[in-house]
Amino acid sequence: MSSDTPFVHADGVAKRWNGQLGVENVNLTIPRGSFVALLGPSGCGKSTTLRLLSGLELPDEGSITIDGRDVTAAAPSDRNLSMVFQSYALFPHLSVAENVIFGLKVRKVGAAERREKLDRALEITGLTGYEARKPGELSGGQRQRVALARAIVANQPLCLMDEPLSNLDAKLRASVRKDIKKLQVELGITVVYVTHDQTEAMSMADMVVLMKDGHIQQTGTPEELYYKPANTFVAEFVGAPPMALIESKALPGFESATHIGLRAENIQVATSGKGRLACKVSECEFLGSETFIGLTHPAASGLTVSLPGLKTIPAGEDMEISFSDSDLHFFDDAGKRLATPAG
Amino acid sequence: MSGLSRQIEALGAVLLAVIWISPLVFAFWAAFHSTSDAVNFNLLSPWTLDNFRTAWDGAPWLRYFLNTFLLVTVILIGQFIVTTLAGFAFAQVQFPGRDFIFILVLMQLFILPEVLIVENYAMVSRLGLFDSILGVGMPYMASAFGIFLMRQAFKGVPIELHEAARVEGCGWFGILWRVYVPLARPTYLAYALVSVSTHWNNFLWPLIVTNSPDTRPLTVGLSIFGAPENGVDISVISAATMMSVAPLLMAFLIFQRQFVQAFLRAGIK
Repeated sequence: MSSDTPFVHADGVAKRWNGQLGVENVNLTIPRGSFVALLGPSGCGKSTTLRLLSGLELPDEGSITIDGRDVTAAAPSDRNLSMVFQSYALFPHLSVAENVIFGLKVRKVGAAERREKLDRALEITGLTGYEARKPGELSGGQRQRVALARAIVANQPLCLMDEPLSNLDAKLRASVRKDIKKLQVELGITVVYVTHDQTEAMSMADMVVLMKDGHIQQTGTPEELYYKPANTFVAEFVGAPPMALIESKALPGFESATHIGLRAENIQVATSGKGRLACKVSECEFLGSETFIGLTHPAASGLTVSLPGLKTIPAGEDMEISFSDSDLHFFDDAGKRLATPAG
Repeated sequence: MSGLSRQIEALGAVLLAVIWISPLVFAFWAAFHSTSDAVNFNLLSPWTLDNFRTAWDGAPWLRYFLNTFLLVTVILIGQFIVTTLAGFAFAQVQFPGRDFIFILVLMQLFILPEVLIVENYAMVSRLGLFDSILGVGMPYMASAFGIFLMRQAFKGVPIELHEAARVEGCGWFGILWRVYVPLARPTYLAYALVSVSTHWNNFLWPLIVTNSPDTRPLTVGLSIFGAPENGVDISVISAATMMSVAPLLMAFLIFQRQFVQAFLRAGIK
């Protein structure tokens, strides 16, 4: 098979719950060996999309192909995939070793091969020595690794992960994030990863699928989402702080666009009288290496300027800002990105 | 005030306990004393094992024990199979009319088994199971209480475990056997206790449906042994009663802690 045929392909997939929207018209093309993040706020349909790929839910419309095989109506176990659940879904009555080889046992893999694969999976995930423990005797991070070990033990080419890090504390999350990424590269598996945390999505994924209200908003590399947001939702979702949106009437010369987007790092503080927008300081957020100054302007939302080091500016103080035209993003009245700068 | 009411409560509890245990204590005492000493409450009278010898020789007790043991085992196995499958279906399988059928099953709880004795008798006869241990046990196998208990236990199993097992390749039966049944173990234990003690002590139905010493359980054997036609000897009857209740009583005393814990855990879930 040529390497450019998509490994996972979803075509016009829809799932509705009693008339309520689940997901609608999901089109996905996932290359083999890539790391894809499904990103979006809660209730956007990202988990539903993952469950449709896994076969735990069957689509009402559309088709799903995995590895060249139409699996639209296939059972989860016939799709050659593994899954990591948000709650880890470890069997509490089984030891770590039994949990990891659960699927191998069900699939009647021989004892010697089981042993070998178990040892390897435990070694990769750093769980050697914990074989006999029950999940209840492990810490959150260890449980998470058991779930990972179970997902990789059978060498399935596709691994689906449903917010696997959301139950870990922030520090652990950052290190496990790196581990998962490393694992995916080393094993060469394809990972579809659901998260509501854009840092996770941006730092790990080769491709990010941003969803909202059951629809895909944008599919692309993290850079594309950041530098070329397809619409105002993407613009306001991606990045910390998110992109500020300014009504075009506040900036003369860009009337063909409805909204103009601007990122914090592209804003400079101007001396009084020389700026392009006159704002008021609303808050200061000190982050160590920089301080985010929140600004209010009657025709803009989410305006923030980033200043190096610690800055304390009293709220209500006037501040003028400037920026260059090349850093502006333009959106039409439906919120869609305008390809060429208006003007 | 609170101290006084506490003491009254404690006194009440002790009183209840004494009332509750007194028949058993008397039977125990009578079993080890001659009849006249037992009836006259002669506290200094000598202890004796004669009553047990007399009682043991008076009826095929070993056979009765075996019958009762077989009976509770057959019922328990049948109940485990039926309640597991039915409980799983009601908890996790979607099928039309599920809730309606479940309510029908629950209605069984409102009906006293004694009401159905004639109908059950006719049914067991039609099935050709009259005067057999299977015939005694059969009406109790599809226990509504058990189905309800298992359904609740299975409903408490996180759905992710079910899904994880599906992704790993388990079919319906594999999921039931590898995930649900092991996780419901405390419930099985609690239910087994209730079932075994109920059917160990069950009397009316076995009395009606058994006809020979080969199928008669302990309770029926004991009642025939103690029937007035055979002459009432309170000490011998007490000895026979002690023998009948001993296995269950000892099992309870030994496993008391586990039993209570099983009930607590089943309740917490």
